[in-house]
Amino acid sequence: MGIDVSDNLEARSVRTRALLLAEPTRDPDWIIVDEGFTLTREHEVESLFSIGNGHSGIRGSLAEGCPMSTPATVVAGVYVAHPGSVASLVTIPDWTHLSITVGDHTLRMDLGHNLEHRRILDFRQGIHWREWRHQDGNGRITRLRFCRLASLADRNLLVQCVWITPENYSGQIVADAHLTGLATQVVNNHTKVAVAVADRVVGPDAEEIGSSELMDGRRDFQVAAGQTYRIDRVAALYTSRETDEPDEEARRKSSEALQNLKGVIDRHRQAWLAKWREADLQIEGDHFAQQAMRFAFYHLMSSANPQDEFVSIGARGLTGAGYRGHVFWDTEIYMLPFFLLCDPAAARALVMYRYHTLPAARAKASRNGYRGALYPWESVDGEEATPPYAIAPDGEVVRILTGEQEQHISADVGYAVWNYWRATGDVSFLLNAGLEILIETARFWASRVTREDDGRYHIRRVIGPDEYHVSVDDNAYTNGMAQWNLQTAAELTALVAEQWPETWHALSCRLGLEDEERDSWIGIARDMYTGFDEKTGLFEQFRGYFELEDIDLTPYESRAAPIDILLGRERIAQSQVIKQPDVLMLIHLLWDRFPDDVRRVNFDYYEPRCDHGSSLSPAIHALLAARLGKMSLAEHYFRQSAEIDLANNMGNAAAGVHIGALGGLWQAVVFGFAGLNLNQNDPTYDPRLPAGWQRLSMRFHHRGRWHDVTLSNSGDRIQTTESVS
Amino acid sequence: MMNEPVILVPLDGSAQALAAVPVAKVLSQIGHMSVRGLHVSDQKLGEVELRDCLAHGTPILDGLPLESRTGVPAAEILRAVHELNSRLVVMCRHSRPQRAELLGRTATDVIREASCPVVLVPPERGTGVWRLQHVLVPHDGTPTTSAALIPAIDLASQAEAELHVAHVAQAKGTPEEPGAFTTPRYIDQPQHDWPSWSNEFAKRIASLCPLNHVRVRVSLARGEPAMEILRLSETQSTDLIVLAWRGRWDVPHAHILKKVLRSASCPVLILRTSETEPETANLELTSVRRPG
Repeated sequence: MGIDVSDNLEARSVRTRALLLAEPTRDPDWIIVDEGFTLTREHEVESLFSIGNGHSGIRGSLAEGCPMSTPATVVAGVYVAHPGSVASLVTIPDWTHLSITVGDHTLRMDLGHNLEHRRILDFRQGIHWREWRHQDGNGRITRLRFCRLASLADRNLLVQCVWITPENYSGQIVADAHLTGLATQVVNNHTKVAVAVADRVVGPDAEEIGSSELMDGRRDFQVAAGQTYRIDRVAALYTSRETDEPDEEARRKSSEALQNLKGVIDRHRQAWLAKWREADLQIEGDHFAQQAMRFAFYHLMSSANPQDEFVSIGARGLTGAGYRGHVFWDTEIYMLPFFLLCDPAAARALVMYRYHTLPAARAKASRNGYRGALYPWESVDGEEATPPYAIAPDGEVVRILTGEQEQHISADVGYAVWNYWRATGDVSFLLNAGLEILIETARFWASRVTREDDGRYHIRRVIGPDEYHVSVDDNAYTNGMAQWNLQTAAELTALVAEQWPETWHALSCRLGLEDEERDSWIGIARDMYTGFDEKTGLFEQFRGYFELEDIDLTPYESRAAPIDILLGRERIAQSQVIKQPDVLMLIHLLWDRFPDDVRRVNFDYYEPRCDHGSSLSPAIHALLAARLGKMSLAEHYFRQSAEIDLANNMGNAAAGVHIGALGGLWQAVVFGFAGLNLNQNDPTYDPRLPAGWQRLSMRFHHRGRWHDVTLSNSGDRIQTTESVS
Repeated sequence: MMNEPVILVPLDGSAQALAAVPVAKVLSQIGHMSVRGLHVSDQKLGEVELRDCLAHGTPILDGLPLESRTGVPAAEILRAVHELNSRLVVMCRHSRPQRAELLGRTATDVIREASCPVVLVPPERGTGVWRLQHVLVPHDGTPTTSAALIPAIDLASQAEAELHVAHVAQAKGTPEEPGAFTTPRYIDQPQHDWPSWSNEFAKRIASLCPLNHVRVRVSLARGEPAMEILRLSETQSTDLIVLAWRGRWDVPHAHILKKVLRSASCPVLILRTSETEPETANLELTSVRRPG
């Protein structure tokens, strides 16, 4: 194998273009880039640079692997439950693994010299790129470019291409893949997953080259100095949830797609470009904010599948094994507003997931002695999946009570139903699914409350969003949302009874719902204890909260750990320090119910007492601070929220991106800085933009129409222009 | 004989100094090294006189080669380390009977200048049997510390000891070193985040110093780091504390190391971090690009 640096540059350029299927986006507003390589950061880079299409997600692992690599392809809705353990998302056989050997030297990051190395997450095209220029111990320089995508146009297809250019040598190259052909996996004895990989090697003139017969997933081919070669690998992924013959479908699909790879990639790119055209949010004057918003948009869109209403989005999306893929209130409260405005079809699928899991929620309520539907705090297939214990790093075994007590999830699901109805006016959904959820969650609250001697209805022993305090009585958020759930169910049943009497008759008969029961909801809501003090305008977060120790968090402002770690769980549980917005969450969700002075006095009281021990917390504080005109605080919390995944010094994202926090970040801009309010017939705006933002433009869907809005910041005033299509 | 790896045990003639010998003997068995005693005084002693002077009537030094040198103790110990190409120095923390929490001058100088790792043994340990079953490794979460721990991992592996990696949560500041992994800032759901954190912490260490088959336990403590290390070592029946040290002794550096060395009730192994970054970090250029 000789070293050869001579070549006809012009001819090479033309040939290289013939091999191009797509090019990386270079505009920094549309990408994040990881330059170089830090071994110990690999898990978080894999998460941040993951790709997905709502059907499956693939971590951004190095194709050839490294000591820290955790390659994973997960499939939405496919979980495995081992005896004695709660269910987890399944990782399917690694179709991405591919190592390249030049002569006797396998190209690896820890061998030879890495002259260049970068990974690019290309939001605009939905492609993970990797560019690597490697020199081995014999001086041979190889330039490689990898592209990986999960097709948004055809969600069963996954693609990996590798361009290889031997810069100064000619010789033999061997490409070795772990998986080529078909691999199947049966999960929990009932779900079959099949992944089939078709591959080929393409030469400089776009002709297929190399051995036609695969030997153990290896392909070897001769290369000439200065020429570019390409390895194409197309995986098709099917489960028995979609088809009776997943292996046949996978095999057929991968072979077909390989024959028209350019078309597959083009359709994928067009699908992403269409998403951006529909709902991109543009910020002029703040590159980091722009990049963070597109990062959020990209990962949110990558997590949802409008075509599958039997799956939802786990707390880390499809970007990692974190949280075992379990679904929390994050989806309904933090992510759903994004989908309502940017992808209503995906939003519908998400709320329908809660309809399909309604029987399990009814069963949980019944098991606990209640009527109606009590949704699980952690859901896989609708059953409660919260682990009952956790072993803290100090060795203490901690009982986890959220699965039993964090019951506000039922009202949160009801709120999501109403939110979807408000944003879309989808009558079919309301009549055939949504109203039933609202009725059953209202029934749960009606059976959950107890009327006490003060004549008020109380809810005892719950956990609110602030999980530093457990087994509390009359949590303001829980009671407030239960009250809202009861009222809204009563109002919507009245609406349906009036406008669609036949449907109402059938539904009320099926559910055994009499007018008296509906009327009782109104009474319970009216007499619900809320913890509101007329004199101060404050809500007490729960009974006895104001008597707890008031710890000044100012000395801990630059802390790198949650305060309950630094000061101890026991002390924090006996203090007014809270983990995340609780009363303020209620004010955020039911904004128009509260006068301005109540919003302000509660924000001023609870904001300094919040530790932000949850990643969901900073975004909601940014949103509320912006709406209240506290711009310095709003910008501070916006940046804190944006840095949860994008800051590189905490390893927060190792097990997956914080998809709920990303939804919150998007809301902070749309409902906070832009001040979008959808409670009127038409959207209204009360914009307050950070000083550096010259312009905020966004496009969103509301009630069947797309709204184009531009907020221009001239310093002393903000001009709003809107068009509707 | 001179080619065999050597553990050097400085003995100043006090009874307290003998506390280092059982530790050195166990480490020599684990690491297949020989133990060599060294006494430095004003005058060179003959072999019989030297053994009588050092052993205090006990058989603990029987069979151990002993050497007598004259000069300044720390300088002679360091010279011997160089000449013998010692792999390890095991010595008593100090030899003043009435001062428990003290770090002797000679020990300090040896730690600061030795080209090999040093184990300091508290004098109150005496000459009783010592076993290596539980190793406590405080870890600041940086790749540099992980890389420095390779000898300790090897030791634990050969001794089949359990490795307890402890990270102490800090109220302020995170290491700026790329790839550092410290306390999680957000714990959304502890039942998921804690196992994930422990797993990630162990994997980051293992990626830089392979853990082989060592049993590893990762824990998180809170409070003043030195006090927490000492507390953990007491409550967890620790046989050896391993501390990575970046080589700066002047104030305000090494304050945790100094506190632990002064007060630990078990031997402490000090591993100096490499002057250069770990090998893999050479590849690091920048991380996710963010605007300034």
